[in-house]
Amino acid sequence: MITIDHLVVSYEKDHKVIDNLDVVLPGNAVHGIVGMNGSGKTTLLNAVYGLKSADAGLILYCDRKLTKKDISFLVTENYFYTNITGREYLALFKGPHFETEKWNLLFQLPLDTVIDHYSTGMKKKLAFMGVLKQYKPVMILDEPFNGLDIETCRIIRQILLKLKDQDKTIIITSHIIETLTNLCDLIHYLEMGKILFTKNKSEFAEFEKAIFASIENKNENIINELTNNI
Amino acid sequence: MILPVIKIRLLQLMRLAGGLGLMRVVFLAAMGAFLLFALFAGTTVSPGDFYVSAGYLFVILVIHVNRKDKKFLKLCSRQPGLIFFVEYLLLLLPLLLCLIRHQHYVTILGTMALLPVIIHVEYRPKVKSLNSAIQRLIPSSCFEWKSGVRTALFFMACVWIVGLATSFFAGSVPVALFLLGITPLGFYEKGEPVHMILALEMDAGRFILHKIKLQLALFSCMALPLMAAFIAFHTSLWYIPVIEYIVLISSHIFIVLTKYTFYQPNQKSGGAQVFGVFGALAMLIPVFIPLIWMLSIRFYLKSVKNLNFYLHDYN
Repeated sequence: MITIDHLVVSYEKDHKVIDNLDVVLPGNAVHGIVGMNGSGKTTLLNAVYGLKSADAGLILYCDRKLTKKDISFLVTENYFYTNITGREYLALFKGPHFETEKWNLLFQLPLDTVIDHYSTGMKKKLAFMGVLKQYKPVMILDEPFNGLDIETCRIIRQILLKLKDQDKTIIITSHIIETLTNLCDLIHYLEMGKILFTKNKSEFAEFEKAIFASIENKNENIINELTNNI
Repeated sequence: MILPVIKIRLLQLMRLAGGLGLMRVVFLAAMGAFLLFALFAGTTVSPGDFYVSAGYLFVILVIHVNRKDKKFLKLCSRQPGLIFFVEYLLLLLPLLLCLIRHQHYVTILGTMALLPVIIHVEYRPKVKSLNSAIQRLIPSSCFEWKSGVRTALFFMACVWIVGLATSFFAGSVPVALFLLGITPLGFYEKGEPVHMILALEMDAGRFILHKIKLQLALFSCMALPLMAAFIAFHTSLWYIPVIEYIVLISSHIFIVLTKYTFYQPNQKSGGAQVFGVFGALAMLIPVFIPLIWMLSIRFYLKSVKNLNFYLHDYN
């Protein structure tokens, strides 16, 4: 279980991106973080991982401080060192029981080719394999489905559901709400640096409707005005 | 379009200077003055002016071939060639002023005539996907060498073989050692993604020492057979490769420390590039060696502090 208590993160003085955020993320579950652009999703994940220092607050894992030793993190934009192959990249990570060739049957990557020649989707798959290899108790996945084809999205979903059953805590963000409602046990809605509410599986359909309706209502007038004047 | 581009360049320089801090800027200004003095002295008499101009033009050619904004400028401007010309002319200004001062008008004409040729060079270095047994011998955590060897293996292998085969000539091994010593400096230009430094699960101090140890071990694998061959043929001159080896590894340690002092994930740090030049200069001008030893101590402490932000969980 991850407990985030009164977390404050800011980039500039007087501009809190995460503002006194409290949330409890139970273990053995997939957690979705949803929010509009700029709501603080990536900042929250960076703070949880320790890539951004918190101004205040606590982040605990099973009642002790959460550290990088507990987490594997898939960032949104995967940057790779130039001129190394996929196999060399994977060899960096500790994971004595990870069978690269067998996992690659799922992802079909040319592991002996330098990563510079990979497509966006292939890079994402490689980064995901790196995260899997680390086999840490907490997995943070920032937009893991960006740039992936339908088959790979489905494969990743299956893998994550299996890992959840192996006592992992998975935190995931996505702009495509359907990918989260299909996968998550709980969805946390982030707005202005705070978790406004948390919904469980039985409330997802209603949540999805409410979100779409709110967005459409908010913009309806201006869209009508603009499209009528074209 | 030319003025906005020049303005952007000046802003970039100012931001780079701002990021370096006042002390380092003063230090770099002093070094710049030293280099200008060397340029002035080097162009005093012929054929020095010719060699210096050729070297200067070669540096501009390397900049032109490697610059990443050529496509962008071609899309945005109707006269990208003019932008390149003005930028390179500004870079050439110190040389041109020295040549005018020393009245080497033929060299000025030659330099100016070659500048339009340089801006029309369209050569693009290709990324080669070379997998050899050598890469497999390099430890996984030394990805800089895996990456670097992939592009420079042919050059390194040629230099090593020729150096060894001709080691009975007194000048051969020192030149080969120098070329092999200067090659790895380019391996440490780019900051790796943060998960690559976290993958080793070491604290900052151990991580940096591990990186230095790997660098020295890999370079020594290349250098020691050459040194042994030299000493076998020229026993009385044993100190030449030994001193050169010490100079080279001092520069290597300095380069590794510079990289992590200015480390920012996924980026080529301007500070690391600027200070990295001293590592390279130390190989050519021994005056810099005590300086890089002193800076190495300082940069070790600073790099530990810098990496501690990412690696403190492994303390």
